[in-house]
This record gives sequence, C-alpha cells and structure tokens, in this order.
Amino acid sequence: MATEARKKEILKGLYDGVVEFDEDKVVELSNAVLAEDVDAYEAIMDGLAAGMEHVGDLYANQEYFVPEVLMCSDALYAGLDILRPHLSGKEADVRGQVVIGTVEGDVHDIGKNLVKMMFDVAGFEVHDLGRDVKLEKFVEEQMKTDSEIVALSALMTTSMLAMPKVIEMIKARNPDAMIMVGGAPISQEVADNYGADGYAQNAANAVQEAIQMVSRLREMGKA
Amino acid sequence: MTDQFSARGSSAPSPVLLAGQVLEWSLGSENLNSPAGSADQEVRRMSLPRCVGGLRPDIMTSAERMEAVMVGLRPDRVPFNLFGAGFSARNVGYPVEVVYTDPQKCLRAQLWTGEQFGCEPTTGTGYASYGAYEFGGEIRMPRSRWESAPSIVRPAVESEEDLEKLDLPDVKDAGMIPTLMGISKLQERLGLPISCGISGDPATNAANMVDVNRFCRWMVKKPELAHRALRLSTDHIIQAWDYWIETFGAERVSVGVYVTIGANQIMSPKQFEEFVIPYQVELHDRIRDTGIKGAMFHICGEQNLNLPMIRELYLGTRQTPFMLSFGHEVDLDRAIEMFPDSIICGNVEPQIIQNGTPQRVYEVTRIAIEKGKSAPRGFILMTGCDLPPMAPGYNVWTMRKAVSDFGFYD
Ligand SMILES: [Zn+2]
Repeated sequence: MATEARKKEILKGLYDGVVEFDEDKVVELSNAVLAEDVDAYEAIMDGLAAGMEHVGDLYANQEYFVPEVLMCSDALYAGLDILRPHLSGKEADVRGQVVIGTVEGDVHDIGKNLVKMMFDVAGFEVHDLGRDVKLEKFVEEQMKTDSEIVALSALMTTSMLAMPKVIEMIKARNPDAMIMVGGAPISQEVADNYGADGYAQNAANAVQEAIQMVSRLREMGKA
Repeated sequence: MTDQFSARGSSAPSPVLLAGQVLEWSLGSENLNSPAGSADQEVRRMSLPRCVGGLRPDIMTSAERMEAVMVGLRPDRVPFNLFGAGFSARNVGYPVEVVYTDPQKCLRAQLWTGEQFGCEPTTGTGYASYGAYEFGGEIRMPRSRWESAPSIVRPAVESEEDLEKLDLPDVKDAGMIPTLMGISKLQERLGLPISCGISGDPATNAANMVDVNRFCRWMVKKPELAHRALRLSTDHIIQAWDYWIETFGAERVSVGVYVTIGANQIMSPKQFEEFVIPYQVELHDRIRDTGIKGAMFHICGEQNLNLPMIRELYLGTRQTPFMLSFGHEVDLDRAIEMFPDSIICGNVEPQIIQNGTPQRVYEVTRIAIEKGKSAPRGFILMTGCDLPPMAPGYNVWTMRKAVSDFGFYD
C-alpha cells in the first residue's frame, strides 16, 4: 500500500504525463498504481481525467492545438487501458451512453475523435461508429444500446446536409434520444435549424453540453 | 492606379432596379430560417419579394474585367468568380465527379454555369485531398449526395517504414495529374487562362499522403518524419509546376496554393511557422524565378493567427500579382489592411449560400462587396471556400444580384 505522499506523487505524475503527453510515463505510473495498490478510480479521476481537463483549458487558451491534444489523448488512453479493468463495479458505472460518428460521405474524424475522448474521460460509455457512417447505422446503434445521446460530426458543407436527415430518422424511432451536432461548418444557428438538441463548438464544450442534456433527460424521468 | 474604366462607367445607364426593392430586401435580412417561425413570420416570408429586378448592364466583358483586375486597373464592377466546379457540374446535370474525371465536362459545366449566372468563369479544378492518390494511396470519387469531392480511402503512407521507402512518383502519371493536364490542354485549345490544378501546399499534401492524424502526431513527436513527407511533397509540386511550364510556358500558367491543414483549427501558429512557411518560401521563390503568370493563394478557414507570417512570406518573395482568397473567418477589412498590394478575394460563408435564405445571402454578399471595394489593388467576390454543390442556384443568383446592386465602382 502506497503512502499518502507516494499516492500524491503518482497522481501528480499521471496528471503531468497527460498534460506533457508523456505516454511512457503514464504507462509506468499506471502500472505503479496497480502494483502499489493505489485506488484505480482515484488514479483515473484525479490523475488522468484531471490532466485532460487542464489540456482542455490549454486548448481553449490556444496554448495547445489539435496535434498536442492528440498526443495527450494517446497518453490518456494508455493509462485508461491499464486502469479501467481494475475499477470496482460501482465505480465503473457510467454517466450516460453516447453513440458517436462522422456522418455518411465524410471521412474526417479528428474532431470526432477528440469529442469521443472527452466523453470517455468524463465517464460516458461511448459507442464509436467511426467515419463515413451510413445514416441508418446511427438509428440502429441508438436503439440497440439505448444511448441517451447521439453525437454527429461533419466537416463538409455537403455532408452537413445529412444531419437533419439522420436527426429526423432517429427522432422518428425514439423521440427521447438527444442529438448533438458539431464540426467546422456547424453553428448554434445551424444546430437549431436542424432540430438538434445540442451543439458542440469544440470537444470540451461537447461534454458540458452532453452532461446538461443527460440531466435534462433524467429530470424528465427517462434515464 | 488609373481610373479610366470607372470614368467610362459614369456614362452607364442608371440601375434598373427599383429604389424600394433594396429596402424590402434589407427588411428581409433577419433570420427566417428558424424552425419555429410564428404565423406572422410565415406570412411575412410569403409576402417578401422574390429576387426580382434586372441586373445593371455591364460595361466590360468578363475577360476585360478580369484582365483589368490582373493588371491593376479598376474594372467597371467587382468581378464575381464561382469557386465551385462541383456546383457547376451539378448545376448542368452532371454528377459532381466529372470535374475530377472528365476534362470536357469539367470545363463545359463551369463555362455554362458562369454564363448562366453572369460570373467571370473559372474553368480549372483541384481537390483538397491532393497527395494521397498521387503518392500511391487510394481515393474514391464522390458517390452520394452528401459528398462534394474525392475522399481518401487509404493514405500513401501508413507507417514510418512506408515513408522511408517512398519515392517521388512519375509526375506525368501520378494520381489525378493526367486529368488535370487534360483540363489545362483543353483550356489552351479554347483560349482560356491555363490553371494548374495541383494543389500547391506541401503541408496539406503531406498530411493527405501520410494521413492527417499521423501527420499531426509526427509534427509533435517526430518532426523529422513530418519534414521528410514535406520534402517529398514540395519536390513533387515543383516537378508538377515544371511539367506545366514545359507544356505551356510559364507566362501562361497560373498555379493554386491552397493552405488548408495550416488552419488554426488544426495547427498552432508555431507549427505553421515550422511546417508550412519554409516550404511556402521555396514555392514562392520558384514562382518568382520561373515567371509563373499568377497564383491564387487560398487561405482556408481560421488563419487569423497565421496572417502576420503570410504577410512576411509575401513581402519577402512577391513577384507576380497574387490573388489572396480568404474564408469568412478572416475579416475582409483586416485582410485589406494587411495585404494592400494583393488582389483580395472572398469571403462569403459557403454554408450560408447553401442553407441561408436569399435575403441573408444578399446581405452577407453586400457586406463582403462593400468591404472588398476598398481594396487598393482590387477585389474579386467569391465564396470563402468551395461553393457547395448542393447550394440552391437561386442563392448564387442572389449573389450576382448583389454584385449588380453594390459592386459598381462609380
Ligand atoms: Zn477553403
């Protein structure tokens, strides 16, 4: 069992490892978490996730850009992969479920991957359909998983036109599903016009929006 | 700059549109797109005028107008270029992919569409995912109505070893080049300006070559690999330009430099300085040294943080009159202030042309024209990036109407 000081050191190391995108360091310390009997949940939340939250701030302040955030994300997943299997049942409970993908006709996935990562870090169960996803696939996956949220990404002005279509298809089958849209050509106004329930201006804001959407659902007694 | 053309313009007939019409149009500039419009709004929407009224007659032909802008004279009115080969194809009933596969249809579609909307026709093509196919990867043509351009199916490089083994492709045979050359040969036959459709940004092409996710990671962790990909993609562009110069002569060829990956939506200004600028310096020196006739520098997306570096690049290497095209993310006032010696192009938000009401289109176009007209070296109205193929023709015509109503220089 690690001492309190050692535990702090490990958590700080995980935090720094994510922020400084030092994947090796994160792997080493994640293994130390297990070897030295530090709580895996704490290590994820106060180490990795806290680090990623800081990365979100660095991104918002234009100190980090997409390349750095991708590297931070690699470091984060390296840690999550080691620690997650060691969560106890209750801790592994998810905050909500989200189906995510880039819509049909669009192969751009950087933005989608960053949003996915933020959902992962925030404790959502993520069903990633990838890119160039057939519209029916979003409907099927939402029904199959009973996810509260469907997050749609589009980078092209052409593929954004698939969004109102898929929103209509999902709502027809399940009016309670919440839809979030994002991507370069999308704005709040476009999201409203398309009948989306949420708009993600960037990855960090996607999760805040999602959490609000889930609590709206819960208030309605649905989730 | 002489003013002879606008002097001629003063004898033009006065605008034929009715005075009240502009007023009614501007009343309609509110957002009528909101889904839950009140009944009142609905009635107003129905009663708003359609885009009626004739166009004010031009004084110059399209060719004269473009020539005037190129040589630094003031044309009769702001030229309007369609930045939309895919839109043109769809507009005349072809599938979008013909602009990447069929030189004849590519030109025909753009000439007909230019004629229909009364724009200065451009006839070239190019594509944002350039670099994957040319270096041995795989692309697929747009196949559904949600697609406007070729997409990368498999990049040319999927590992560090792939990159180490990669050589320059045979320039006459690489990827899309035979089709792009076919387009230029047809341009020559028809006496049109010859544009080289090779996309001239090494960083964007390198990212396409190795996959953009991988390129981003290499920029941070293995910059030497990013630079190797950049070296190859720069050498390829120079070879391709040389191929065009040998075929047509430098003085007849224009090239396009489409800086996409460098947008601050992806990379930092520091990365822009390290991975974009040095290779652009090489290419700009090349443009100057070969005497290439003109270059269109498309500054795609959010690049406000990069502008000071682009300005330095431009000041350091300028020779030919550069057309600088901006997205809606860069304010035209700022563009004009920073680049007073360039022909400024842009910057109407494509998404609005696709999704907006005609009233909104008219309004955003008016704003762009009124700002653009103060550019000392000239202004060309364009969308800020590719005109979406699915944009309603009516909205494109509305842009043309705004050019007629606000674009004359008298
Ligand atoms: Zn662009």
